[in-house]
Amino acid sequence: MSTQESGPFLSVRDLRVHFPTDDGVVKAVDGLSFDVWRGKTLGIVGESGSGKSVANQAVLGLHNPKHTRISGEIHLEDQELTTAPERRLEQLRGNKVAMIFQDPLTALSPYYTVGRQIGEPFRKHRGASRKEARERTIDMLARVGIPHPARRVDDYPHQFSGGMRQRAMIAMALMCDPDLLIADEPTTALDVTVQAQILDLLMELQQEFGSAIIMITHDLGVVSRVSDDVLVMYAGRAVERGTAREVLGRPRHPYTWGLLSSMPRLRGDVGRDLVPIAGTPPSLLAPPPGCPFEPRCAFSDHVADPVDCATDRPALPEERGAACHLTAEQKRTIFAERIRPRLR
Amino acid sequence: MSKRSLGAKRAAGVSLALAGALILSACSSGGGGGDGEGNGEEESAAPEELATISFGTAEDSQGPAEPVEGAESGGTVTVLQQTSPDHLDPAQIYVSHESNIARLIHRGLTAVHLDNDGAYTVVGDLATDSGQVSDDGRTWTYTLKDDIYFNDGSPITSADLRHTFERQFAPFIAQGPTYVQQWLAGTEGVDYRDLLPDGPYEGDHLPDSILETPDEKTVVFHFDEPQNDLPYALAIAGYAVVSEEGDTRERYDQEPLTSGPYQIDEYRPGRSMTLTRNEHWDPATDPARNAYPDRFEISFGHSQEDSTARLMADNGDDQTAMTFNNGLDAGNGPTVMEDPQYRERLVDGFQPYVAQLAINLDRVTDPTVREAIVQAVPLNGVLNAYGGSIGGEYAGGLLSPLLPGYDADYDPFGKLANPRGDAERARELLEEADAVGYELNYVHNTVPEDTEAAVAIADALEAAGFEVNRSEVPPETYYDTIGVVDSGYDIYRSSWGHDWLSAATVIPPQFDGRQIQDGASNYSHLNDEHVNSEIDRIRRIPDAAEAAAEWAELAAHIQEELIPGVPTFYYRQTVMHGSRIGGAVFNDDIGSVDMNRIYVIP
Amino acid sequence: MLRFILRRTLGAIAILLVISAVTFFLFYAIPRNPALLACGKGVCTQEQLAVVEHNLGIDKPVPQQYIEYMSGLFIGRDFPAGSCPAPCLGFSFRDNRPVLDTILDRLPTTVSLTVGGALVFLVLGLAFGMLAAARRGTLLDKTMSSTSLVLSSMQIYFLGPLALAVLVHNTQLLPQPQYVPISEDPWGWFQGLLLPWLVLSTIFTANYTRLSRATLIEQLQEDHVRTAKAKGMAPRTVFFRYAWRGSLIPIVTIFGIDIGSLFGGAMITEYTFSLHGLGRLAVESVTQSNLPMLMGVMLFAALMIVLFNIVIDACYALIDPRVRLD
Repeated sequence: MSTQESGPFLSVRDLRVHFPTDDGVVKAVDGLSFDVWRGKTLGIVGESGSGKSVANQAVLGLHNPKHTRISGEIHLEDQELTTAPERRLEQLRGNKVAMIFQDPLTALSPYYTVGRQIGEPFRKHRGASRKEARERTIDMLARVGIPHPARRVDDYPHQFSGGMRQRAMIAMALMCDPDLLIADEPTTALDVTVQAQILDLLMELQQEFGSAIIMITHDLGVVSRVSDDVLVMYAGRAVERGTAREVLGRPRHPYTWGLLSSMPRLRGDVGRDLVPIAGTPPSLLAPPPGCPFEPRCAFSDHVADPVDCATDRPALPEERGAACHLTAEQKRTIFAERIRPRLR
Repeated sequence: MSKRSLGAKRAAGVSLALAGALILSACSSGGGGGDGEGNGEEESAAPEELATISFGTAEDSQGPAEPVEGAESGGTVTVLQQTSPDHLDPAQIYVSHESNIARLIHRGLTAVHLDNDGAYTVVGDLATDSGQVSDDGRTWTYTLKDDIYFNDGSPITSADLRHTFERQFAPFIAQGPTYVQQWLAGTEGVDYRDLLPDGPYEGDHLPDSILETPDEKTVVFHFDEPQNDLPYALAIAGYAVVSEEGDTRERYDQEPLTSGPYQIDEYRPGRSMTLTRNEHWDPATDPARNAYPDRFEISFGHSQEDSTARLMADNGDDQTAMTFNNGLDAGNGPTVMEDPQYRERLVDGFQPYVAQLAINLDRVTDPTVREAIVQAVPLNGVLNAYGGSIGGEYAGGLLSPLLPGYDADYDPFGKLANPRGDAERARELLEEADAVGYELNYVHNTVPEDTEAAVAIADALEAAGFEVNRSEVPPETYYDTIGVVDSGYDIYRSSWGHDWLSAATVIPPQFDGRQIQDGASNYSHLNDEHVNSEIDRIRRIPDAAEAAAEWAELAAHIQEELIPGVPTFYYRQTVMHGSRIGGAVFNDDIGSVDMNRIYVIP
Repeated sequence: MLRFILRRTLGAIAILLVISAVTFFLFYAIPRNPALLACGKGVCTQEQLAVVEHNLGIDKPVPQQYIEYMSGLFIGRDFPAGSCPAPCLGFSFRDNRPVLDTILDRLPTTVSLTVGGALVFLVLGLAFGMLAAARRGTLLDKTMSSTSLVLSSMQIYFLGPLALAVLVHNTQLLPQPQYVPISEDPWGWFQGLLLPWLVLSTIFTANYTRLSRATLIEQLQEDHVRTAKAKGMAPRTVFFRYAWRGSLIPIVTIFGIDIGSLFGGAMITEYTFSLHGLGRLAVESVTQSNLPMLMGVMLFAALMIVLFNIVIDACYALIDPRVRLD
């Protein structure tokens, strides 16, 4: 990755997103760092509540500042976003950085036509006229594969199918040629066949527009399909990072192993038993002082004294690696002997 | 005599029209010329005895009306009223809130005039005098004045008067007084209509032997029996003139022609009425109406709380506001009565009603038991339920303080002296009659005042050794319930008000035993030969003063010897007005403030 | 849209027919003889009663009376006491006028009171609600929320006389409430109704503040509002175009119910301020056993409620294309 001539397009360092509540502070994201490079796709994987969506909404400043405490650094090219004024963020949103949300059913307003909602960012950021925006919208709808776009542009969201709505969302996101597209579970709510179409579409458009993409998902299948790099998140922190090939092929963190084991496969041994990860994620109000995965980890007893997974927090290496006290050797052996056979 | 009983829902603020001709040397706190004097110093409920009663002469009957000192013409008077009139056709008018407005717009053959000295006189209104009587009171002759007109400019002639009386027989005239019709027909029941079943509308008319109009100016009534009260009766708003030409039958009730100083500029039922001057009214013909204001703006739907609060505040337009019939409300009443700043703006007197607890003589036959009831009933408990001193005064006798023959000291059973009732004496009487535990069926209505009074009465009766079975009925059906002869009830409230200032409209309707029937007003079913014959005898006495004394004597006999009930209280009427209303005095004939003397202080 | 309204109108007519039949049979089934009232107790003979009953048209079987009543709506009726031109809602024998005349006489008061009051509470309620929602969690929000909670638990029969005593009788800050037709004196109309509007709208304003705040906060958390923000819309646009529009649906629903029943009559307000609207007319009709009037007022109130339901449905359709296009 360091081979890129310029720095990363988006660089997040030690990001913390905390929500003060009556019961205490919810540490939704607690010290997260990652980079996104131009033209590349970063897949961020994790269970719900792992902080992956919260972190990315923080990039665009979508949290209500009154109820959120954000610290750390977010650099978009040369701009620092955590301290940027709201107006600056407003100019970025939907323009340089666009976002696609999970549920296309609720992510579009039911009260306005699809065309109007898609055209809005173009008019706002490019100062386009109503007519220009409409033309561009029809173009984009055609580009994302909506049939009869000139007619459908005046439809309301409820007249679109789920897949079409997500295509419309993508069209909206791409209106201003964004440099970064954050796709937050864009296919989760869709049928499997539609999922594949949407992912293919995203890939195609990435080729065409050269945008960087952050693909947030809990589905390793999606990650393997589209990502160049992968970040695995657990309980508000990153626990493993690397290229997609590395993380999916030679995962080093017990949590990633668990994710892989619990994922259904279409190829290979379809009938094998899925192994869900035992236990539940830790409370974000009072996370354990050590490794957050320790209570659910089947291998913490392999860690030799004096390190104690329950009290010592493992660090994540800057580039390829996993935040785990197991030695590199142990990780390799356990994966090769005990995990990989299950994935066949 | 028609039944006139006070419905419970009318208990406060609404009284019957009365008419009469008498001079009270000092009438109950009202009195002519008394405006500005205030009446707070005097005991407000201490009318003094009667001096004389007079019919006016032709001279008394000439207009214009004697001026009120300091009064000026002009201005607008605002009147805050609770209930709007259901009827504007004179023949349908009987209840007082309608009569009071009718006095401003309608004129009859006679009128009762309250003069500056506080004297009441029956004067000729449309007629030149109060009536020329002949044939021992069987024939009465009236001559119309000149220059009397309806507000459409048409002259009022004897044909209009004939029409006025003939249409009283028509089926659609159902709400007004029935005295004159019954006298003309020579009957005391509802069969008077048989005399002229369709009224004048199908070509039939009363024969000259009954009602005679020999020329344009003359009206002659012929009765079978002497009718010495005719001049009073003709002064009731119900007998005011109706135009023959302008008669629209049922529809006359909405848009009548008027003959008085005002005409109806606009009437929105339930809401408001504007009276403006009737240009065809000639003050020179009217001895009874000063008609100082140019305009009356009457608005309806004001609760007593609302009208009292506004008149107390006396702001802006409310300084020229008054009310004819809205009494003080229970909340503000005591403040208003006690605070001297309001004293000059109060007009205080009595309504014609006397509240009684009637005893059913068919059922409670032992006079000793009846006397026990009288002794036990707590006047204070009853009156407190009806608002205490704002609501009325304890009653000693059957005759209202407004009536000639009333005696403030009359207290045959010591009730005034001991308004709490005498349970011990009552028990003694019960024991004497060997009737301890005597069961009484008591019916009252569901209005809160009546219920509260009933509780007080029942408690006192039980303390004295009676057993009381209370039951209650809705106010609408209350008088129908107690009017059934075989009702099965022993005691019940019955309120009675005179129609004019004569006990002839009090004693016979309630105590003539020959009139006992379902729906009649002899609620205690008293049927006594002596009483019946006395009624016939006193009715024929032509001299009003003499008759009044005889009625009072008969009333005392009934109350003391026959004990048909317990008088409990006299309904009081206290109304307020704004600081720029002048000439406001209580008029006993009206039973409220005299609207004919009102003027706006500029 | 046209078909939508047409369909709803036909439905409404059916509902009104049912209501009219039920009210009619209910009223005329109760054992009160209106003829007895018109005839006058004590002086009324059986023959006379029969004449009066005939004149009132109540000597016929009830179903036939109902048919005559309904046909009177379209062709009018004639009574001995006066004619009742179409649409004849009945004829009041108490004051010998068509019921509709009286209703139309009272209607301007009710309309003025309702429309003026509704305007005040709708504008203030929505504004306060928006302010509170936009400043959620601040002192302003907390103050407004608790104030509106207290005010919404007040009653008009408490607030009304209090306001009257304090603002009118004692200090004369406001003029005596009264109804002056707007056509005669617009300023007098405004002044006369100012206090009733304020009192009537105080409680409603509090309710609408709470409602509008709650629905706005809910809407602000909607996904599509987040989408709007994420595509760079200004906070004002996000708030008004996206969140506010969605919050209108529940408000319109409640508003439709409130204004429909206010048009049927704000009885306590009318009595408190001695105004003469339909509510008072209804109460008076009950106490006077004026059945034709009561029937007319009930039908009219039902008509208003049904009418406002159609208007509300049309508003839904305007606000929400899903309703319109389904």
